[in-house]
Amino acid sequence: MAGKSSSNLILGLCILIFAAVLLGVWIPADVQTGLIEKVRRQVTVGDALAPTVAGLFLLLSGVLLVTVERQAEGQPRLDLRNLGFTAGMVALIFVSLIVMRWSGPLAVGIVNVLGDGDLEYRLLRDTAPWKFLGYFVGGTLMISGCVAMVEGRIRLRAVLVSALAVLTMIAIYDLPFDDLILPPNGDV
Amino acid sequence: MGTLDYVWMGIQAVFQGPELFSIFGVSISVTLIMILGGFLTGIAVGATPGLAGPIAMAIALPILISVFGYTPDALLPVMGFLIGVMKGATIGGAVPAILFNTPGTPDAYMTTLDGYPMTKRGKAAKALRVAHFSSASGDTFSDIVLIVCAPFLALLVEAYLDLPEKTALLILSLSFIAAAIGGSPAKGLLSTGLGLLIAFVGTGEDFYPRLSLGSPMLNQGFPIATSVLGVLIIGAVFKEMETLWRQRQSRDIASDIRIEGDQRLHWADIRRLLPYVGRSAVIGTAIGALPGIGSTLAATLGYTVGRSRHARTKTEGRPDFGEGAPEGIAATEAANSSVSGANLIPVLSLGIPGNAAAVFLILAAESIGGFNPGPSVFRFTADTVNPELVIAFGLFTAMMIANLLNWTIGGVFMRSMGVMVRIPKHILLPAVLLLTLTAIYVQETRMEAIWFALGFGVLGYFMRVLAISPLPFVIAFILGGNLEESARQAFAATGGDPWFLFTSPIAALFMLASVGVIVFTARKTKERS
Amino acid sequence: MTGFLKTGLAAIGMAVMATGAFAADWTPPGPIKLMIAFKAGGGADTQARLIAEELEAKMGWKFIPEQVTGKGGLNMAAALKDQPNDGTAIGMAVTETFGYNMAAANAGFTPEDFTGLTTTAGFQMGVVALSSKGWTSFDDMIAAAKGGEDIRFGVMSPKLADLAYLLGQAHGVEFNIVSVKGGKGVMNGVNAGDLDVGFMAGIQAKGVAAGDLVNLASALSEPLVQTPEAPTFADLGVEYNADGYFVFVGPAGMPDDARLALSQAITDIVSDDTSKAGGLIAKAFGGASTISGDNLTALMAGDYANAGQLMAAASE
Repeated sequence: MAGKSSSNLILGLCILIFAAVLLGVWIPADVQTGLIEKVRRQVTVGDALAPTVAGLFLLLSGVLLVTVERQAEGQPRLDLRNLGFTAGMVALIFVSLIVMRWSGPLAVGIVNVLGDGDLEYRLLRDTAPWKFLGYFVGGTLMISGCVAMVEGRIRLRAVLVSALAVLTMIAIYDLPFDDLILPPNGDV
Repeated sequence: MGTLDYVWMGIQAVFQGPELFSIFGVSISVTLIMILGGFLTGIAVGATPGLAGPIAMAIALPILISVFGYTPDALLPVMGFLIGVMKGATIGGAVPAILFNTPGTPDAYMTTLDGYPMTKRGKAAKALRVAHFSSASGDTFSDIVLIVCAPFLALLVEAYLDLPEKTALLILSLSFIAAAIGGSPAKGLLSTGLGLLIAFVGTGEDFYPRLSLGSPMLNQGFPIATSVLGVLIIGAVFKEMETLWRQRQSRDIASDIRIEGDQRLHWADIRRLLPYVGRSAVIGTAIGALPGIGSTLAATLGYTVGRSRHARTKTEGRPDFGEGAPEGIAATEAANSSVSGANLIPVLSLGIPGNAAAVFLILAAESIGGFNPGPSVFRFTADTVNPELVIAFGLFTAMMIANLLNWTIGGVFMRSMGVMVRIPKHILLPAVLLLTLTAIYVQETRMEAIWFALGFGVLGYFMRVLAISPLPFVIAFILGGNLEESARQAFAATGGDPWFLFTSPIAALFMLASVGVIVFTARKTKERS
Repeated sequence: MTGFLKTGLAAIGMAVMATGAFAADWTPPGPIKLMIAFKAGGGADTQARLIAEELEAKMGWKFIPEQVTGKGGLNMAAALKDQPNDGTAIGMAVTETFGYNMAAANAGFTPEDFTGLTTTAGFQMGVVALSSKGWTSFDDMIAAAKGGEDIRFGVMSPKLADLAYLLGQAHGVEFNIVSVKGGKGVMNGVNAGDLDVGFMAGIQAKGVAAGDLVNLASALSEPLVQTPEAPTFADLGVEYNADGYFVFVGPAGMPDDARLALSQAITDIVSDDTSKAGGLIAKAFGGASTISGDNLTALMAGDYANAGQLMAAASE
């Protein structure tokens, strides 16, 4: 074996830092009651106790990682190329979701400018085809983008298959059920 | 209302539920059809590499809830479907393992060891029959144990455990799960600690949503669907996509499978397999009853025990384990299938989920309402009907119906599922991703939920990269609220006794065991390294 | 209280006559978002969803129900506050959200940030114990407490915890007050023997009828419908009570026509015993109590203003 991985040590140190911040800063600053509280002349458990217990779990885990398990066999190695691929995919999904959120309102805006109309996406979110627009465009982008990333190239066929898959999902969720709403129509 | 009355009402609740249609004047209840639908879906999903039961359960849940609504009437059809998926996926997973040397579900890995060699010798259909027989036997055995044990365990809990003991029991389960899953106690503790922490964001007794960083987005905390689906499913999709990208071109799959000679399962075969099936079923059931230890360990143990018996007793000329022994398939499949029923023992009697399938059953119960898995379910009331108990017996009935389907049509359907392996995974997985995100949105109806799920997906991905099991995270997240609540109540109920976890002998014993289990596994890891 | 209700109903009647044509003309400009401050599947959630369902069928309006739970309804209130006030976003909570909880949380908003539409039903809040405990009256429980027995008192909100504390104080005993999630949680705890007694807001009706549970006292200003002989909190020397209602609200500044049309439509549904929602309310809460318009505004403002007194009394 070529050189042991030290991922447990690094992970352990990160966890220790996180646990220290959690216990030392985050919980004291962002929880309004203490570990125990006195209300109505009764001592009760405050809101800070449970997160503190969680923090102690993390602390213990960090300590074990940098001591007992520091030299453990079979520690995974991080491969930067793999991480890069996943980061790219998450970024793509992020963009697709932004597109999903704003395509509808954007289209309504364009129609308003062109036709001098006075439409509002919020009031159209239960009206076809407006309500499908964001989901269709964003969803197709998400699926075909992921496929293209794995294949390393963009194929028209993959895009068509993705669009078909999204249409099928719209059919599954929206057509039979009156009260299911596709993203992003609950937010607007 | 006697016990038998409740059993009978549970059976009736399944058969006489809302009618879907009738054949020759016999009305077919919607629950029956849902169990069948779930079972067939489960086989297909299990037989598709890259998909597994939990994914189908996650995607189906919001659709089912919108069909059946948020009423107690929805519980049996919805949970019946999920139970069907759970059972179907168990036998479906063996199909690609045997035919293509690719396990459809992680716990079917050991099945490839003897299944694929049998296929290469032209005995594919026989291997599938062995897998089906053993799986169905193990599953049925496990369900019977569940039905007998869960009510008694629940009654014991209610009779002997007060609030402090219940708190201590939750702590024991969590530390057991942290120590047992993933092989390393430090990583188990990490996963558990994160799950607890996430569960505590935005919740709590005070009106200020704690740990919300002042952001209204976190006011309501993290919805259960976002963290569970994010870590379990989206995280898995990311990891699988990365693997596919690394392999770039999908492996070619041998297209023609030779079938030679007698493929039937004879009585003599069954007699020879039974000792293996029996042992593995007991192993799987015992492991399943402990929360957190999954079917993969059961399969490994069952296979190991089977191998040593086989080495002692085999007659000359029969294949060894690993060379295409039907006994190897039987030992594996009986063990991993008998986990699923027994896993519901802690769910129904204590409200503690032990594996992903159980997590989704709890998710269904939580989302629909009217059924809170836990000891209060098994209150045998005399004058009034306890509707939760009727549901519990209805669930047992649903499981037995699914077993019946498994014995009758399961084998035929399973053997036709070889085609599923041809579905291109790199298109299927992104579609699953979008379906999962949509499923979350449909339930939560706000974009934030999708952002949370994506974030949890990244967390789940890193956990997989760093060999940290995500299951303790999910279980801790689900139990975190209960833990805090019961600790609070126990503390208040004992009049603010700071030693409430240690004053009663049972609670003190549980606490001692929770520390012991961590120390014990930590020392074992140390010795190994 | 009944008198107050009647006045309320009469006031709506007059308001309806005055602006009837006005309200009838109103239709929502788009789908209506209904934010429900209760856990999915519970009795309150079912009530909200049934009302929406029947409004869809009757009025042809489109509802999009959504769960916004937690913090005693304050999460829902915070989310609703910033929604458009044209009638396309409404919420359902309890009056306690806009009274005690809003005052205690100091969350930066008051009932004035909302438009009250209508209440649907009042709580039948009782102090309930298992019959098998052998207590047939409130005095039996106090006698047990004085005899040295620890009494675990289950409550489901901070306001009720204050009331339980004051109840104990008035009788010279100290309860171990245990906070539990929701009325269902109190009932499960009492049934399992984890709690000795607790507040239940209507969920106890079936158990009391079957003789498994007993209403020891009414936490309201008037006797319980099911157990009229149980003493009220006033009888027991507590000057505060747990009177409260399920209430529909919208964001502040909702136009009168929208407000009237919505509250009238909801009132019609819940007052009709033959409708599913009305039937549910009749069964669990002994019938609808609909307070709307200016009376509701006054009720919410009063609850908010008076909350401080209760808090001060309970922290003495």
